[in-house]
Amino acid sequence: MVVRVPSGGKTLPPQPPPAETEVPRSQPPQLHASAELTRKGQTLLDQGRVDAAIREFERAVSLNPNNGQGYYHLARAWMVKGDFRQADSFHQLAEIHLQDEPGWASRLKAQKADIQKGLDR
Amino acid sequence: MNQLSKPRRLIRRLLRVFSYGCIASAIAVAVYGVWLYERIETRFSGQRWQLPSKIYSDVTLLYPGLSINRRLLLDQLARLEYRAVKQKPERSGEMRAGETRIDLFLHALKTPDRERAAFPVVIHLDRDRIASIRRSDNGEALSLLEIEPEEIDLFFGPEREKRRLVSIDQVPPHLIQAVLTAEDNRYFSHHGIDFRGILRAAFANLRHGEIRQGGSTITQQLAKNYFLTPERTFTRKLRELMIALILELRYDKRTILEIYFNEIYLGQKGSISVNGVGEASWFYFGKPVEELSLPEAATIAALIRGPNAYSPYLNPERCERRRRHLLDKMYEETVIGKTEWQAAREAAVEPVGYEVFAKRAPYFVDFLSQQLTELYSPEALASLGLSIYTTLDAQLQQAAEAALTNGLERLEKDRPELTADGGSRLQGAVVVLQPRSGAVLAMVGGRDYGESQFNRVTQARRQAGSTFKPFVYLSGLDQLSPISVLPNTPATYTVDGKDWQPRNFSETHRRAYRLREALAQSINRSTVHLAMAVGVDQIVDTAAAFGFSTPLPPYPSLALGAVDVIPIELARAYGVFAAGGIQAEPLTIRDVLGGEGEPLERRDIQLKHVLPPAKAYLMTSLLESVIQEGTGKGVRSWGIRFPVAGKTGTTNNYRDAWFVGYTPDLLMLVWVGFDDGASIGASGAQAALPIWAELARAVPHRFAGLEFVAPPGIVRKSVCLRDTEGASIWPCQEIREEVFLEGKVPDDAGILPGAGALIQRLLKGLTGEKEKR
Repeated sequence: MVVRVPSGGKTLPPQPPPAETEVPRSQPPQLHASAELTRKGQTLLDQGRVDAAIREFERAVSLNPNNGQGYYHLARAWMVKGDFRQADSFHQLAEIHLQDEPGWASRLKAQKADIQKGLDR
Repeated sequence: MNQLSKPRRLIRRLLRVFSYGCIASAIAVAVYGVWLYERIETRFSGQRWQLPSKIYSDVTLLYPGLSINRRLLLDQLARLEYRAVKQKPERSGEMRAGETRIDLFLHALKTPDRERAAFPVVIHLDRDRIASIRRSDNGEALSLLEIEPEEIDLFFGPEREKRRLVSIDQVPPHLIQAVLTAEDNRYFSHHGIDFRGILRAAFANLRHGEIRQGGSTITQQLAKNYFLTPERTFTRKLRELMIALILELRYDKRTILEIYFNEIYLGQKGSISVNGVGEASWFYFGKPVEELSLPEAATIAALIRGPNAYSPYLNPERCERRRRHLLDKMYEETVIGKTEWQAAREAAVEPVGYEVFAKRAPYFVDFLSQQLTELYSPEALASLGLSIYTTLDAQLQQAAEAALTNGLERLEKDRPELTADGGSRLQGAVVVLQPRSGAVLAMVGGRDYGESQFNRVTQARRQAGSTFKPFVYLSGLDQLSPISVLPNTPATYTVDGKDWQPRNFSETHRRAYRLREALAQSINRSTVHLAMAVGVDQIVDTAAAFGFSTPLPPYPSLALGAVDVIPIELARAYGVFAAGGIQAEPLTIRDVLGGEGEPLERRDIQLKHVLPPAKAYLMTSLLESVIQEGTGKGVRSWGIRFPVAGKTGTTNNYRDAWFVGYTPDLLMLVWVGFDDGASIGASGAQAALPIWAELARAVPHRFAGLEFVAPPGIVRKSVCLRDTEGASIWPCQEIREEVFLEGKVPDDAGILPGAGALIQRLLKGLTGEKEKR
């Protein structure tokens, strides 16, 4: 599955499966609900329904403002829409909240590079 | 021979005049008919009704584990027209609330990005926490449940009519039959005018010596309601007849009936008229027209003759008699069978009840309207039937209104001088934002909208007082750290030729404070020393980046908040600290849909970088100390244990009391004061903070109790905090883990690399040197 970026036809790499947004049961319930909304958003984004996906991610980060993956995917969705400034803002929040998450450093780095390319264009 | 007699000539002349008169009248009638035809065509070919645009709150999300305020939730469900029933809910819109569970048959949900059919659920409660949510039809456990948005206001035109349009296919046959039986049982046989009906009505009226029946057909009633004024004159009656004939000529029977069903006046909800069977069905029975039973349909049909005289709300007995009379007539005319008739006659018809329409969240709606009028004219908003979906949290709004009212009443009770005769009324304002999205979740611009529509959240300009101090401290963070020492010595500054000596709110003998402590305790002198060391122009530049639209005068007193701010702008500025250095524009509108549900407008979160995330976090960390050990520690006495950062503010002579407090979830600002600037005699901690705390406690669904997350660029280090009075020969009095910006970790003396010049300037403060400006 690839998601096309309208401006320039760039493609984004396939994203990790939704199961990664699971949170431990011991954590506040908001986090679970937020993770579920993030999963829904990912599904919508993968279907190319970018606007609907943004709404889900926005809700996800509203419930859990520390939801780094929500910000990461918001950045991704805004890249798809070609608004790299917005993408950069959300990516900055993703960096804050995913800094200690294992396996995210390289993904964040790659997304940051994509955003930078978009901003430089 | 060709000479006619005088009488014959007169007769011929009269005949000629009469003929001309007839021709002229026929032409006039024909011209008038064409004009009417054009008018009807124009009215019916375009938009037939002025449909008010509706403003909706946001969707409410429920999920297992969520702490709720049961009263707020039940109030919200009541406003959404869920009606309490004793048995298990079996129809959409029914609810049964118990101690440990809420049974709810949801309404269908339709929002810009969602469509869901109605279904029953049971919400199990463990005290004030949702234990589980299950569909009660198939037992499926739900991890998320969306409660539909609440209608919070309508943009009415001058008519103040409310209607829900229905197509004739949606109207159940028994409602059509009931209406025709009541109003025009030969509707499908006549051509707009029913002469038999007129004769029958005239005979009946003569027999009873009073007006008992009207001879107007449904088409005539439509002509009268839709095109004409209510006066009773012969010419108006003629026009009504002509319009009825034209309508019948131009439209088929079902179309006319559909227009009639949507047009007809069927009751009054406060100052708003209920028009059309679609709206009436919800108003009286809380359900869509398709679901009306025969007795309910008969009740609505019975209303047409006198919506208020036969209202089940106003005159239930008369309503009952008229309904039975109509059912009898339907049976006599073999419209319904005997079994149906008997069952319908005996059935109890209970209206669902209603709340008189009142503006909800009126200040929020006003603020939203300003933004909407940039997109749509007031006429368009009053007629196009737009659906405007907003960010408002209906439960939070209700709680904010209550907290403000309670807080102001408490103050007035404790300080009777605040209610002195002849003085203006104590006022307050509350705004709740989501820092990372800018979503405005609640807004209360004053204590009584009916009394004053001035929105103190968005229109007031009030002195910021100590709530401005964080921008002073932020300006010093490149050269100072939380453990840097700030003097507390008296100093005199010359401003425009006049001496100014800042004084502390409560005097102490300490000569210095550490930066964290000085902000937490809101020490005025230390703050001014810091401001003078950093430079007032630098502070103005720092604050300007936060988007204040009010002027920032570059005087030393700026350090203590001698600057007017608009409360929502102050809230937005604090939002930057809460949101990792990013500023979100206040957002109220999410989506606007057209009358047919087509998307017209969409607003997304708009972010702007203002601060490096690490600096924003450091400010949050400093502001957490305000709550933990400073002027905001009263928050803890309200039983609030989750992490909160914030700042109190009090202006000269107690004119303004502020509290701005935030968590990673929410930012809430409270202001209290008099519009005319009179003293309230109470500080921000005394007047505004309790309102904040009461509100925070009332909305557990909004607080997850999350920690503030430190971003990259923050270093934690244990430091030795020696006596600030300079007695460095003493051992550590306190070892504390402190947060620092990366690369700005101070040495053991608390001095940052490269901060020498600033430290020198600050030390001047310890000697009490006089500065000029």
